[in-house]
Amino acid sequence: MESKKTCTGPDEGLDIKDSSRRNFLKQSTLLTAIALTPGTAIKAAADHVDEQFAAVFEKMPLKMEVNGKQQSLSVEPRSTLLDILREQLDLTGTKKGCDHGQCGACTVHVDGHRVNSCLTLGIMVNGKKITTIEGLAKGDQLHPMQEAFIKHDGFQCGYCTPGQIMSAVACIREGHANSEHEIREYMSGNICRCGAYPNIVNAIQEVKDGGMKV
Amino acid sequence: MKKAIDSIMPSSSAGMSRIDGRLKVTGAAKYSAEYTPAGLTYGVLVGSTITKGSITSIDTKAAGQAPGVLAVITHLNAPKVPGDQPEGGKPVPPKGAFKVFYDDKIYYNGQPIALVIADTFERALFGASLVKAQYHTDKHITNLPDNRSNGFPPRGEGTYKRGTEDAWKAAPFKVEQEYIVPTVTHNPMELHAIIANWDADNKLSVWDKTQGVKGTQEDLAHLFKLPVENVQVHSQFVGGAFGSALRTWPHEVAAIIGAKVVKKPVKLVLSRADMFTSVGYRPFTWQKIAIGATADGKLTGITHEAAGQTSSYENFTEGPTGVSQNLYACPNVNTKYHLVALDIATPTWMRGPGEATGSFALESALDELSYSLKLDPVELRLRNYAEKDPESGKPFSSKFLNEAYQLGADHIGWSERKQEPASVKKDGWLVGYGMAGGMFGAYRSGATIRAKMNTDGSLLLQSAVSDIGPGTGTAMVLIASEQMGIPAEKIRFEMGDSSLPNAPTQGGSATTASVGSAVYQACADLKEKFQKLIGNGGTDKPDYAKVLKEHNLPSLEVVTETGGGNGMEKYAMNSWSVHFVKVLVNPATGVVKIDKVACVADSGHIISPKTARSQVVGGAIGGIGMALMEESIIDHRYGRYINNNFADYHVPVNADIPQIDALFVNKPDPIINPMGAKGMAEIALIGMAAAVANAVYNASGKRVRDLPITPDKVMA
Amino acid sequence: MKQFQYVRPATQQGVLDVINKPGTKIIAGGTNLVDLMKRGVTAPDKLVDINQLPLKTIAATKTGLHIGALALNSVVSENAVVADKHPLLAMALKAGASPQLRNMATVGGNMMQRTRCGYFYDVTMPCNKRAPGTGCGAIEGINRMHAIFGASPQCIAVHPSDMCVALAALDATVIVAGKKGERRLPFTEFHRLPGDHPELDNHLAKDELITGVEIPDNNFAKNSYYLKIRDRQSYAFALVSVAAALDIENGTIKDARLAMGGVAHKPWRLFDAEKSLIGKKATEENFEHAAQLAMRGAKGYGNNSFKLKLAPATIAEALKHAAGLV
Repeated sequence: MESKKTCTGPDEGLDIKDSSRRNFLKQSTLLTAIALTPGTAIKAAADHVDEQFAAVFEKMPLKMEVNGKQQSLSVEPRSTLLDILREQLDLTGTKKGCDHGQCGACTVHVDGHRVNSCLTLGIMVNGKKITTIEGLAKGDQLHPMQEAFIKHDGFQCGYCTPGQIMSAVACIREGHANSEHEIREYMSGNICRCGAYPNIVNAIQEVKDGGMKV
Repeated sequence: MKKAIDSIMPSSSAGMSRIDGRLKVTGAAKYSAEYTPAGLTYGVLVGSTITKGSITSIDTKAAGQAPGVLAVITHLNAPKVPGDQPEGGKPVPPKGAFKVFYDDKIYYNGQPIALVIADTFERALFGASLVKAQYHTDKHITNLPDNRSNGFPPRGEGTYKRGTEDAWKAAPFKVEQEYIVPTVTHNPMELHAIIANWDADNKLSVWDKTQGVKGTQEDLAHLFKLPVENVQVHSQFVGGAFGSALRTWPHEVAAIIGAKVVKKPVKLVLSRADMFTSVGYRPFTWQKIAIGATADGKLTGITHEAAGQTSSYENFTEGPTGVSQNLYACPNVNTKYHLVALDIATPTWMRGPGEATGSFALESALDELSYSLKLDPVELRLRNYAEKDPESGKPFSSKFLNEAYQLGADHIGWSERKQEPASVKKDGWLVGYGMAGGMFGAYRSGATIRAKMNTDGSLLLQSAVSDIGPGTGTAMVLIASEQMGIPAEKIRFEMGDSSLPNAPTQGGSATTASVGSAVYQACADLKEKFQKLIGNGGTDKPDYAKVLKEHNLPSLEVVTETGGGNGMEKYAMNSWSVHFVKVLVNPATGVVKIDKVACVADSGHIISPKTARSQVVGGAIGGIGMALMEESIIDHRYGRYINNNFADYHVPVNADIPQIDALFVNKPDPIINPMGAKGMAEIALIGMAAAVANAVYNASGKRVRDLPITPDKVMA
Repeated sequence: MKQFQYVRPATQQGVLDVINKPGTKIIAGGTNLVDLMKRGVTAPDKLVDINQLPLKTIAATKTGLHIGALALNSVVSENAVVADKHPLLAMALKAGASPQLRNMATVGGNMMQRTRCGYFYDVTMPCNKRAPGTGCGAIEGINRMHAIFGASPQCIAVHPSDMCVALAALDATVIVAGKKGERRLPFTEFHRLPGDHPELDNHLAKDELITGVEIPDNNFAKNSYYLKIRDRQSYAFALVSVAAALDIENGTIKDARLAMGGVAHKPWRLFDAEKSLIGKKATEENFEHAAQLAMRGAKGYGNNSFKLKLAPATIAEALKHAAGLV
């Protein structure tokens, strides 16, 4: 970076409604930041005490509700929601199939909408509600879509399955499960290499036609 | 179990559901990258950016100093892998498996040249981006068609001849054409992954994506010169493989080396791009087929030539010409198979290895012949039906392919098909039908099962076998349930761990026949043990729990080992399939839509209808991908894949696939094993690509001989 | 991916204050940017998250429909007014990406997405767009997906959007905020041809922010069609796509709009073909004639030469669909 500006941390034009961020701002003076940062960042900061320090400032607080449980984390801005779920929260039901938004294995619900968690920076879901495959069943009682996937054998290896199920639930909620054709189109963001597509369509149709609440 | 049963067409909800279904739909099923041994670190590989040459220098300083990076491993500092070193006194073989971090040589683009290990995935990935190598570059070749003249016959498998060579030339009706199957990549949804940990200096544990934990255990023990029992391989769930996890790959060795260096567990997950260069692929294969026939459609000669690519350091052979030797009763057949060594990574077996490639050419050529003969393609096949194995003259252990033809034809509505191409149009789309068949050897190898009956009446079965998706555990439980006369819910099948009793690698459609036979026999042995307890007059299927309690026993256990393929000396054993496809082709844009599919398998008695159906449907979809869209494309100027991702390497999505009907002749094979079951994974795909190509021709009059059949080729 | 600074200004002014600094990138849906960052194609020092800005509204104005730059692709495609007045836009949006990606991607982000050229994406390959001066890998390489119109010796990449093809056809206006205030430019002039500066995709200045688009009212709702030809039925980029909109009265075409995707560095408007249709009957022959006119100046580069035939076929098909002839 070229501009010689005193480091302010990741606080420019802060969204003041967010109290966790406001608290964070209070802390992120240069000194406290150094105290909180691993050694490598301190080394870098010592050489060029300017905005470069902000660039190596490593972590930011992230609060999100995952499967009904509040999570307070400290994450690098570059960490994706997918990697945070799998590596930090040990919620490995959400799968990494391509890491580039090209397969749908990482599909989760953010505030009720299905998205690819591999292209979602964790820091950008601050304050949001995340539902993963682990949050779909009510205790021992499986979600109707999970039951239907078992009944219609909507998988073989099972690896794309969590993403398929999260997508399938959303497909019905969105109102895109009104025909086989429509289901196929609206389930096309989830690749299944074992080729369980017809079974997946059958499972979704059964849940849709059964009128069960999804 | 050898019941004569009518053919079946299960629905998706028919029959018992998978025993591991609940784990898979809740996200609780753990795949290899999903274990968390204490102190876990993350490894990311750096790939070569040149295709051939050597590394002249490699700068790892920036990577080594990056935050969180624990180690940067290259050929310059990697600890030696003992099994990679030349054995004292013995000459170094001219070719062999690629050895990671062994020396400065570059054999293919994307070859691992460094491993960066850090405390988080993000930091390892960033560290990897900082490794910079300088190379000496040699001229590379990656293009098979331009280098076909450099082909050489693989050892012992190059040529085959029966009868007169090139007899097709003298026939009144003949076809001579060339066909291309491009490089196709397995691309299972789960990225190949390993977590490696050294429990002690001479004890290694890995959680690894593999189709055979025992095979991996042996490989790793050999490479690291460890006693086999000191290597533990865990692979409880495998997120698809289709052949890509049949052998031990460089990234697995790299992670183990890395764990040795950092003295911590290392998790290494390949990227999707790595999946194109690091774990094999179906090799690009050029083929030429010539067929001659009499006017009434009797084949007089087949000549089949194939040239498949391999790497410069290893010869990979599969047998694309085998199908021409065995599928039809033809008196004169000669085949030639060459390898062309290119500067690419070694290919590997992919679902229907050899046969999937060969059957595309043979079954396309046969379709072309049917049009010259003005003969229905099904009828042409029936006129050349092999009643015994054409190659060996042995009888088949079972073959009901003629019934399969009939079932499929009836089901697809074959009578609606018009022999004249491009003659049927509906709603602006050309309509066409095509069919093609496939075969694959029905194999069986040795396996061991531990079966333990407990006082609560539950049965535990244990085997090291992997399940890459077909539902092995489910089929095993069904076999045991019938043999023991207890409900499936009472049976648990433990698998995917090298500490369990021996099982073959899951491949070649042989798992049910191999491990199933062991389960069958273990159940028989266990029942016999109960009979001995009860003494005379007991029933064959007693109340096991009661017997155990009466005899004050906590459990009763057997360990049963069964052998490999019996009957191979007397019989030829194969599974058979036929695929019928109806397609719609847009005459203006060349877009092909699959409208209807009926696949029929003659794979003996069907043990688990629900999972068998899924396997056939899945194979058909794999075949549709091969037919219509799959191709790994190299820019030969750079020797580098240009579409190594899921946006550019297309596999079918849900919108491409209609309902697919899977039918089973369902007649038990009386020879191969006590269940009468034969394999079906390979035959589910073999022949499908030709069936689609044949349907496209029938619909449009456009014969596409180089896969995939994309819109540009159809409209051209 | 390297570390970067993440900021989330509360106001549009706050965004404008920071975006012109070198190494700074705006992030909205992130579906393209995060992908590019993962591939090392771009490596910003700072990301400016704009999702909190009030730019999500879809509302009728006196002369048309205003769509905020942060409106999600899925929301726009399902919007009742869009479906009623501009079905072409809804169709194009639904033909793009996947339901998950459309739930993330925004209108502004869609306009800013970069080419899917494999040479652009692979940092080891030559690419004048990613690294000016390194050459074009595609021009003599694998160029099946590439441009047949308006390419330059520097670059034959195509713009990958479907939405933009519809917006170009519908004569939309792009509204841009900058330090000096607001400026409006025709959608067809937002994206640019590669020329000697393929690194530039469009005419947005570094210190500007797209705030929305406006689609003027029209009479095309009844006779619109978006036809996308691709290698599979869904979730694939276009080989060729066509947005066709007709205003037909008593079988005669009063007005026409045509644009193509997958053929140029920008959504490719077919002005001559449109003109040729006005006053003509909506017949297959006239459509095929228009399609041929549209191909003037087209050039194939090898792998993509099939588009010289596919493109006019797709134009004619799309027009037939729009006119209800299919």
